[in-house]
Parts: sequence; C-alpha cells; structure tokens
Amino acid sequence: MTILQTLTEKARNIAVRSPWIYRINAGSCNGCDVECATTALIPRYDVERLGCQYCGSPRHADIVLITGPLTARIKDDVLRVFAEIPDPKVTVAVGVCPISGGIFRESYAVHAPIDQYLPVDVNVPGCPPRPQAIIEGVAQAIAIWRERI
Amino acid sequence: MTELAYPLAVMLFPGGLFAIALGLALKGADRRLAARLQGRVGPPLMQPFYDLVKLARKRTMAPDIAALPVFLGAPLVGAISMMLGAAMVPIPGVYAPDPILGDLLVLLYLLAVPAVVLMVAGSASGSPFGAIGFSREMALMLAYEGPLVLVVAAVALRTGSFSLADIVAYQQAHGSFLFDPVMWPALAAFIAFYPANLGIVPFDIPEAETEVLEGPLLEYSGPALGLFKLMSALKAVVVLSLGIALFFPLAPEGLPGLVAHLAKLLVLMLLGVTVVRVSMGRMRIDQAFFFFLKWPLVLSVLSLAAVALA
Repeated sequence: MTILQTLTEKARNIAVRSPWIYRINAGSCNGCDVECATTALIPRYDVERLGCQYCGSPRHADIVLITGPLTARIKDDVLRVFAEIPDPKVTVAVGVCPISGGIFRESYAVHAPIDQYLPVDVNVPGCPPRPQAIIEGVAQAIAIWRERI
Repeated sequence: MTELAYPLAVMLFPGGLFAIALGLALKGADRRLAARLQGRVGPPLMQPFYDLVKLARKRTMAPDIAALPVFLGAPLVGAISMMLGAAMVPIPGVYAPDPILGDLLVLLYLLAVPAVVLMVAGSASGSPFGAIGFSREMALMLAYEGPLVLVVAAVALRTGSFSLADIVAYQQAHGSFLFDPVMWPALAAFIAFYPANLGIVPFDIPEAETEVLEGPLLEYSGPALGLFKLMSALKAVVVLSLGIALFFPLAPEGLPGLVAHLAKLLVLMLLGVTVVRVSMGRMRIDQAFFFFLKWPLVLSVLSLAAVALA
C-alpha cells in the first residue's frame, strides 16, 4: 500500500512537469491574447523550460487560459470547448475582462464574471496583464494542478 | 534459451524498453537543441518522458461519432509495430537481428504502419481536421514510399541480400557505403526521406498544428495520445537506425560499438531533424509531393541504375 502511494506520488511529481496550455478567446479584444502569445512563444519569456507547450487541440490541454468578457455570441461555444478538455484541468482567467467585464461591464452583449459558468482557479488581472503576471498565473495554476492530477 | 532471445529482443534490449528510453532521449535532445537555436532555454532533456507520464494520468475522451474500437486500437497497433521494428534493426557490432524476426522487407512494411495508423485514426475520429490530415498523410506517403523502396532495393542489390545483418556484414568487409560514390544518390534520397517519415517541419503537413490542429491527433487525449507520442519516438529510433545500418554501420565490437551507435543516432537526429526543422518553413502538400517526385525519386532511380551497372 505504501509502495503504491509513493509510486503515485512520484508519478504525480513527474506529471506536474508537463502542463500543456490551451487558450480560449471568449470575445477578447485580442490584447490579452497578444500578451499570452508573447509570454510563451518568444524566446525572452520561454515557458517551455517549465515544460509548458501550447497545444492546438482542447483535448491535449491541462491548463486553460481564458481571455475576454464572454460575449453573448460566443458563450455556448466557449462552454462547449471547455467541456472538451479532459480532466484534470485548471482554468486561468487572463485579463480583467473575464473577472469583471473590464471596460465592457454592464453591457447587454457580455456575460461578464466568467466564474458564473466556469470554475476559475486563478485570476490574472490587468488590461492587458504583463507577461510576468501571466507566467506567475501559470505557475500558480501548476501548483493547483498538482493537487488534482 | 534461444526461444527466450526473441521476446527479450522485442521487449528489452534493442527493442522495447531500451528503444523507448532512447527514442524519448532523442526527442528531448531535439527539443532542447531547437530551443537553443531559437535563443531559448528549452525544456529539460527528460521532457518527453514527463509528457508521457502526464498523458498516462489524464482521461481519454472520444468523440460521440468516433468508431471507438478503431479509434482506440489504432495507437496501440502503431506503438506495437514500432516496438517490433526496433528489434529488427541492427546495432552494428552489438546486435544483429535474427532473420527469423524479419528482414528488410518486413521492416519496410512495419515502417508504413505508423502512417497508415495515423490515417485510420484520423478518419475514425470523425473530425474534419482528422479527415484533412488523413488525405494529406496519404498523399505524402505515396510520395515518399517510392523513393524509400528504391533506396532499399539499391542497397539490397549492391549487397545481394535483404537481410540487415548481411548488409552490415557486407559493409564491414567492403567499407561503408558512405564513402562509395555509387551509393551517394541513394544516401541523398534517404536523407530527404526521413524527415518526411518522422513528420517534422518541412514535411509535417498532415499534423500541421497551425493549419489543421495536429490533424489526426486532434481528437486524442490521455493515454491514447501518449501511445502516439511513444510511436513517434520509437519511429525515430527505427528510421535512424535503419539509415545507419544501410549507409554507415562500421563500428567496433561491444560497448564502444553501442556508444558509436548512440553518437551516430544523435548526430542524425540533431543535424537531419532539429537543424532542418528550425531553419525551414512548412511546405504545402503539393510542393512536398512534387519535391519527392522530383528529387528523391530521381536520385533513387539513379542509384538503382548505378548499382545495377556497377
């Protein structure tokens, strides 16, 4: 029993070093998306050293970065894509829009606090947030993910 | 005792665990060097191994419209075929595959299995991206299988045998084909072939992430995706070892031979795969198709003719 537990613990410690990131744009102005792309894709803030990898398919994802205020038009699609991500997963809300709606709050076209619909684990506020803040958000998400995998 | 040798060869030493560790290490070295060439720090060398453990702990989801047995069986078949393949390629000076495991012709068919499996997986997933990946994989495979068969035929004609052990022994007696001008066209065709077979950048058209979202792999998750990753790591070992056996198998006996083999694999991987993939853009499927019909095919026909005349 204890051997099994140590093995599981070991596997968890190893698994947590390979978080794959997926981005969902829930009606964002693209500002945060540019910051997300800059964070991981340019050499300067290389997050591949943490084992992160951007993936094109929600089915490969572990950590979801959601940007945008969840516009009425895109809401159903976002929820559907979110459901396609296999458990265990962690959600990071990037930018102020998914948190409160930002400059779009109280608009009829926006379902702003995104946590009404999805379980958000980490908030990274900012308009747009700095790349360092996004990386810190991802690091916190990894810590949360460790408890789930 | 000898009956036990074959399962051991498939499960443990040249195939199986050894090949898996080797393939994952090669992939890790590839990712690390690619990052360095782009001015990044890059992932740890063990990263592909971490990825596999992670994928093993995730849930596998299947689309509602997928043909489930085929969808889940395809990665298994692919990984097993490459594990068998790894036991069929020699490690010069260390391991010569017994003809009973299969010769070069069996290996050719096994090498086609991963591409076929990807096609099957893409179409069984029911995803439109999978279908695009399927058609592209098929076109690419039609383009590169021809040159490969001709290259292998040229080598076999030169040595007079389809057994990889005989091919290695011939070159150990007569000098390696790397320094034989008659074989240079075949070598050039092989160098053009293996990036396509490994599915890396100028020829990663079926799995293009930015175009068709990894095509056939799009709908896979968890352990099933891990099996595909395993398959591609093993395929790197098999294809590169095949290249070494066909063209430059000279190596000392025993442990130095193993070290020499690993060094050759690393050089082939880093020069032929990493440097190529970070310095080139992706071709369109028609460009890749005509590229293979133009250069590798002509070169391989040329080498076959040269060998026949020499």
